[in-house]
Amino acid sequence: MSLLHLVILAPFILAIFIPLFFKYVKQVHTGWFVLVLPTILFIYLIQLIPTVSGGEPIVESLAWVPSLGINFDVYIDGLALLFALLITGIGALVVLYSIYYLTKKGEALHNFYVYLLMFMGAMLGVVLSGNLMVIYVFWELTSLASSLLIGYWHHREKSRYGAQKSMLITVTGGFSMLASFSLLYVMTGSFNIQEIIAQAGDIATSPLFIPAMLLILLGAFTKSAQFPFHIWLPDAMEAPTPVSAYLHSATMVKAGIYLVARMSPVFAGASEWFWIVSVFGMFTLLWGSFNAVRQTDLKSILAYSTISQLGMIMSLLGLGSAAAFYNYEEVYFTATIAAVFHLINHSTFKGSLFMVAGIVDHETGTRDIRYLGGLMTFMPITFTLSIIGAFSMAGIYPFNGFLSKEMFLTGVLNTLMMTDFNMQSIGFLFVAVAWIASVFTFIYSMIIVFKTFTGKYQPEKLDKKPHEAPIGMLISPIILASLVILFGLFPNQFLSYTLIEPAVQSILPTALPAGEQFYVNIYPWHGWTPELWLTIGVIVVGTIMYLTLTKWQNIYKILRLHKKDPINYIYDGFLDKLVTGSQKITYMQMTGRLNNYLAFMSVFLIAILAYGLIEFDAFALDTSIVGDIPIYFWILAVVTVATTITMPFIQNRIAAIITIGVVGYLLALFFVFFKAPDLALTQLLVETVTTTLFLLCFYHLPELRKEKSKPRFKIANLIISLGVGIGVMIVGISSIAMKAGRPFESISEYFKENAYELAGGKNMVNVILVDFRGVDTMLEILVLAIAGLGVYSLIKLRMNDEGGRLK
Amino acid sequence: MSNLLILPIILPMLVGTILIFFAKNHSLQRVIAGITAVLLLILAFYLAHEVYYHPQQTMILELGNWSPPFGIVLVADMFATLMVILSSIVGMLCLFFAFKTIETERAKHYFYPFYFFLLTGVNGAFLTGDLFNLFVFFEVMLLSSYVLIVNGGTNYQLRESFKYVVINMIASAFFLVGLAYIYAVTGTLNMADLAEKVGVLEQQGVLNVIAIVFLFVFGAKGALFPLYFWLPNSYYGPPAAVSALFGGLLTKVGIYAIIRTFTLIFTHNTGFTHDIILALAGLTMFFGVLGAVSQFDFKRILSYHIISQVGYMVMGLGIYTQLALAGAIYYIAHHIIVKAALFLFAGATEKITGETSLYKMGGLLRSHPLLGWLFFISAMSLAGIPPLSGFFSKFALILSGIQEERYVIVVVSLLVGLLTLFSMMKIFMYAFWGEQKIPTEKVDKKETMGLLKPIIPLVILTIALGLSAEPIFQFSLGVADQIMDPSNYIDSVLNQD
Repeated sequence: MSLLHLVILAPFILAIFIPLFFKYVKQVHTGWFVLVLPTILFIYLIQLIPTVSGGEPIVESLAWVPSLGINFDVYIDGLALLFALLITGIGALVVLYSIYYLTKKGEALHNFYVYLLMFMGAMLGVVLSGNLMVIYVFWELTSLASSLLIGYWHHREKSRYGAQKSMLITVTGGFSMLASFSLLYVMTGSFNIQEIIAQAGDIATSPLFIPAMLLILLGAFTKSAQFPFHIWLPDAMEAPTPVSAYLHSATMVKAGIYLVARMSPVFAGASEWFWIVSVFGMFTLLWGSFNAVRQTDLKSILAYSTISQLGMIMSLLGLGSAAAFYNYEEVYFTATIAAVFHLINHSTFKGSLFMVAGIVDHETGTRDIRYLGGLMTFMPITFTLSIIGAFSMAGIYPFNGFLSKEMFLTGVLNTLMMTDFNMQSIGFLFVAVAWIASVFTFIYSMIIVFKTFTGKYQPEKLDKKPHEAPIGMLISPIILASLVILFGLFPNQFLSYTLIEPAVQSILPTALPAGEQFYVNIYPWHGWTPELWLTIGVIVVGTIMYLTLTKWQNIYKILRLHKKDPINYIYDGFLDKLVTGSQKITYMQMTGRLNNYLAFMSVFLIAILAYGLIEFDAFALDTSIVGDIPIYFWILAVVTVATTITMPFIQNRIAAIITIGVVGYLLALFFVFFKAPDLALTQLLVETVTTTLFLLCFYHLPELRKEKSKPRFKIANLIISLGVGIGVMIVGISSIAMKAGRPFESISEYFKENAYELAGGKNMVNVILVDFRGVDTMLEILVLAIAGLGVYSLIKLRMNDEGGRLK
Repeated sequence: MSNLLILPIILPMLVGTILIFFAKNHSLQRVIAGITAVLLLILAFYLAHEVYYHPQQTMILELGNWSPPFGIVLVADMFATLMVILSSIVGMLCLFFAFKTIETERAKHYFYPFYFFLLTGVNGAFLTGDLFNLFVFFEVMLLSSYVLIVNGGTNYQLRESFKYVVINMIASAFFLVGLAYIYAVTGTLNMADLAEKVGVLEQQGVLNVIAIVFLFVFGAKGALFPLYFWLPNSYYGPPAAVSALFGGLLTKVGIYAIIRTFTLIFTHNTGFTHDIILALAGLTMFFGVLGAVSQFDFKRILSYHIISQVGYMVMGLGIYTQLALAGAIYYIAHHIIVKAALFLFAGATEKITGETSLYKMGGLLRSHPLLGWLFFISAMSLAGIPPLSGFFSKFALILSGIQEERYVIVVVSLLVGLLTLFSMMKIFMYAFWGEQKIPTEKVDKKETMGLLKPIIPLVILTIALGLSAEPIFQFSLGVADQIMDPSNYIDSVLNQD
């Protein structure tokens, strides 16, 4: 256990104490206790930067379940550190913000902060672990925490719906990842990521390689809300806004991005990887931005915007994998660098925007842009913050979003240079999608700012009188907005070689000879490049379209997108069908009727007996025995069978019981023939007693009702009964036949020889019962006692369903 | 030879008998029963300890001093002792829960004696080394279960337990038929001897069909597809303590018998027998979980989940590698603990709300937070969410499935895991989330705590089994190693010095 393990476990440990703080330190908002931790962790992690950016990963190991290959390895390289800084940094800001957002009174703060800390620890675990199974464990914990946070206000129907949805979708992805990791383990014999990467070349030809890739991508796509798995994210907005800012835009939804980046060294060489990651990313980018424009809830706009931006980062990682084909030509590095850069930028501007949305909600009582407007004069600081965040998102200079957007466009344009995959002819599609999506991004960014803060003020539609937020709520977004500007103006001073370059090293570890660095110099001005023209086009077209929004908004109605995301119909329909379908299947077999159950079981028995008999050609008949059977034995057999057959036809209870008695007495005769007089005697006794008892009972019973059932039903029952009977008989005959050939004696020989000598009894059966197998007899006596006592208690005690006694 | 082996059987039997005479004195019954349950647990651990440090890790007891294969022999290997430990843990905690919840009327009508007779049968089934004796212990267990399931005699109990009794009686009849077959072929009933004789005959011809008959019999006791019809409704009727004991323990006796016979005796045509088992495993999981998805009743969902999880246990046997069997054994341990806990939670919520239907519950998390979170942990463990016990057991099974290229069952087991999560979330969302339906002033904290006390150890166990998975998994691997090699068992029983 090292200090680094403690970094991951510290949030869990603190979480245990949170309910105590909440209960016993009522005068202090619980959030203050929480805030300390991410702040300390952030400072601790910051000072690791020089070590890690020097190219040396920090590695620690701790055995957990070594017999399954699961070790709690901590592995901190550039990529891990970048994410860890985001998690703790944004985490600290969000906790601070939440202290003012959630009041002490009436909120279940102990629950809230326990979930939040659980998430923080789990997320740190995901990014700092070097063992796939440990990643998986923490991965599921993030899903769980996320779900609990979405359902935080669980008395709301929508919260519960959103919680369930996110859990089902992300855990589906989690299970798929588990399968993928297991496949990787079978291929490489290890769950350690670095050991797997070392074998990347060998496993690329394995037939399991592609399944492993697809399954891992399913995990990543569900978590990072890629189309068509994105539908859980808009519903996740039911969570309190600090949660949305933290989990559902800055950190957890980037876990999928992290995974793709982390596994790139293993899979990036495959063309399937390139295609799937970049196409899904591109489409998500387009879908998210296009759908964001039609939303009316500020948080929904931000949710779709997040989906879109995640798609963009994902596609960049896909495009960046092209480097692995082209012998690591430098032009293809741009996409990967852009991915890392935009990842940082997105966390800053989207975080601040969510907080702005939270402030608006908090101070006006609504987030619906149809009711908002003209808030600029009431909340000037918030307005400024929203401008910074939204303009950065739209890709406007001098904010950081402009720089990474430019790099994104460069990355996409560079794909036109690719010589494979028909890229020269279809590469322009990527460019077109990127451009169109950027236009819509521009539009919804403008909507966020101007529909909320400018236009007509409508006080009659607001629950509260709006005013500027308390300073505590503003600190966090101000810090984030400052970073937006700082990173926009001085990217090289703050980020290039401290965070971006080391992270790119982790994604493309073999691209450069050891000791060399990627060239990451970020400038706003590259001359009149195609990227710049595209950006100018985005701004011009975007502005025009924003101004004419009402004119073309009908397109969403025409495309039937205005009510809900069409994928939601599939999800809802599926869940519905799942429940009704399983009810159908269940009630089809669980009919509640005993004769159905017995019929199913018998058919099954017949089927497997037949299968076994045929498969092993098991039917055998020892004809030598048949010859020895005396004629009276045949007669006895026929009489027994005939008596049995009459049973179902008897309609009178007394007659039925006597017939059964006859069968019993006939059986006793068999025992006589087999020279077992004491067994015969026992059988006669039992038969007599039971028949008498039956007759006594029947005196109190009503007349036997004639059972009415369809002939078809009767025939089916007849066939089943015959099948079971014949099956039992065949196996019996075959067993006896097999006995003849066995090279050893039965244990009964021992009993015959030793019953008198060792046990001192002349009747072998008795000796077996009371001595050789005396325990069986003792237990059977116990069985009798239980039965007797059971009958007694059954007669004595009749209760109703409420636990009271029936008279 | 050690007389220790008979104690887990004889002690509950004697105490059960004594308790008959004190049936009217409820508090004295509790004292005697409680002390005995604790003693049984200590005994189980001591026995396991002795066996673990025994040179062959197997101890036997020849009953009546008749040497095997002629007399009855008790065999305690690691698998058997593990099961005895589990039965003692669950037996003790469910008993404590019964102290809080069983009506005096039921207690006066021999609830406690039957409870201990049931444990007699269960422990005996785990420890016996004789196939006919196994039948007898099954009878002891089943007869007690018939009575316990109907004890109280409500209309619902009478109706549903009738089906339970009839189906189990038929299965028992086939058990007897199977015994007759195998005795006809091999002339022996001692399990070690049977293993040897079946080996000599190379498990040819009809022996495979006989194997199937035993699979049918034990499958009916263990609720495999399509033999599980008796389970969901009959487990609904009796008091929670009984449902929990049955849900946790009883079906597992059937599974134990399947694993025992198909690792010891019928191991020569695994391509046939174990493939059938694997197919049944998949179908059992699938239909079981669909049943759980279809229900909106706390107890019924849990009942159907017993079926689906039995599938995982036999999945390990069907794959039949050391890792897979270790996974199955881990899974059995996990399941017995978690399933008992969940049924007790159902009982506790029923006691609190008076309901089992999810539609009529809501908001329990606010009024009973501890109950809610403990349930949540157990539910997640059942769904296989890490790092709880359910995850590691399931993971071992999945990994072994992939190693053996049994992809279909791997996919099925993952999907079933997902649906398990879905149905457990359903309980949590309906019963614990939502608007609070019980007025806060009506909440009796003391009563709730009393109900939770017997459950808390089970929840701690499922967490501990997950977090410290390594020693448990090592032990499971040890058990799997031992049962994968029948010669150890055979030698211990037949060729002792």
